[in-house]
Amino acid sequence: MNYDRPQELLKPVKRHFITLTFAVALVLELLPLPQGSNRWLPDFVALLILYWSMNQPRRIGIGMAFGIGLLADVVSTGMFGQHALAYSVGAYLILLRQQQLVMFNLGQQTLVILVLMLLIQLLMAIARWSVGAALPGLGYFLPALIGALLWPLLTKLMLLPYRSERH
Amino acid sequence: MNFANTPSFANQGLPPGGRLFLCVLASLALLVGDSQYGLMEKARDAISVVLYPLQRAANVPLNLTMQVGDFFTAQAALKRENDALRERDLIQSSHLMRMSSLEKELQQLRQLNALAAQPSHAGVVAEVLYTGRDPFAYRLIIDKGSSSGVASGQAVIDENGLIGQVTRVQPLSAEVTQVINRHYIVPVMIQRTGHRALLYGFGGGVEVRYLPISTDIRENDLLVTSGIDGVYLQGIPVARVKQIDRLGGAAFARVRSEVIAGVQSSRFVVIMPNRHLPVAPPVAEAPADTAKADKKSP
Repeated sequence: MNYDRPQELLKPVKRHFITLTFAVALVLELLPLPQGSNRWLPDFVALLILYWSMNQPRRIGIGMAFGIGLLADVVSTGMFGQHALAYSVGAYLILLRQQQLVMFNLGQQTLVILVLMLLIQLLMAIARWSVGAALPGLGYFLPALIGALLWPLLTKLMLLPYRSERH
Repeated sequence: MNFANTPSFANQGLPPGGRLFLCVLASLALLVGDSQYGLMEKARDAISVVLYPLQRAANVPLNLTMQVGDFFTAQAALKRENDALRERDLIQSSHLMRMSSLEKELQQLRQLNALAAQPSHAGVVAEVLYTGRDPFAYRLIIDKGSSSGVASGQAVIDENGLIGQVTRVQPLSAEVTQVINRHYIVPVMIQRTGHRALLYGFGGGVEVRYLPISTDIRENDLLVTSGIDGVYLQGIPVARVKQIDRLGGAAFARVRSEVIAGVQSSRFVVIMPNRHLPVAPPVAEAPADTAKADKKSP
């Protein structure tokens, strides 16, 4: 049952690549998409934070998650600290069990990611609610579900540039 | 994947728990500081300037597709649009002619009354960069900021009616809160009768609240800004009444209405200059004093 973990040796991940993925995710947030798309479009920045803190725990840790969260706060016109709080908690929970999580197969990872994405959304809702915004409905958690479903695809995509040439 | 995890004996710096504690503490401080005291505006300005190239880059593909689409517009469609525009231009220029003479008349009357002349109503045209990706609030980001003279508090309209108000200004961009945002209130009047009311946004729509059951209001009535608040010019269309429920037991009628402007669809908006109302006169003072106060204000 080890079919979805790469068997071959992978080239080391470059720092630029990580930066690039986050830049792309932030640009996705800035795209002039039709209103209402944020009712289902997942939070790609959160997904990337979870991905990199699972696979490159020494590069993307709690502090980086916090910093990227601040950027996401400004981009999403939300409150300062809302994304930063949720992302740093998400990164921390990944790092707690990081050695086990990388050994999971994609199905198990997806379940973990689903729980963490829901938790991130919930933390942001609580943060906003405590400073006076209305509580959103259950539809607010749909992006987390879609994000978790995209996890296997994201994993495959991220590994593409790092497969070695040998077959 | 990277299996070379840091061995526990090589750990440097704070343990993860400690780092998390610091980060959570910092973000809670930021949350409270931002929401309660508005301390973070400077930092937000700085980050938004850094992000501005990203914003423009994100808009490039859309602009390109729009340009390509424009290039391949059928000639018939152009012709039709041209005819419609010419017709509208004719109608509007006749209105404009009457307007200019009326404006002159009004100016003279105002001068006679020794009132401060009102500034002309030229606005700043801005393009919507993107809609804020925050499910808790209805906001737009536009591409004009304090460098173009935009100030927070200014009304934002499109060709059909009121969109909202500038609530946060950064050097190169600004945030517009839309009328459908929760807690957004516009003083309006029913155009047909002149009856004044308050239009409340409730997050995704607007409704008139606290209107006595006996008020003369009908379906399809136009609600326009009343202009008594010092923010909006008088007569900007805001919403149209869709449905009125007059329940027997309730003191107020339930008036559902629909926003007229393309709040969620307009690509170009106009930022109206602020109205400079004279400072409200103190209640107990004599009328002579208020006249002086009027003259002083710009």
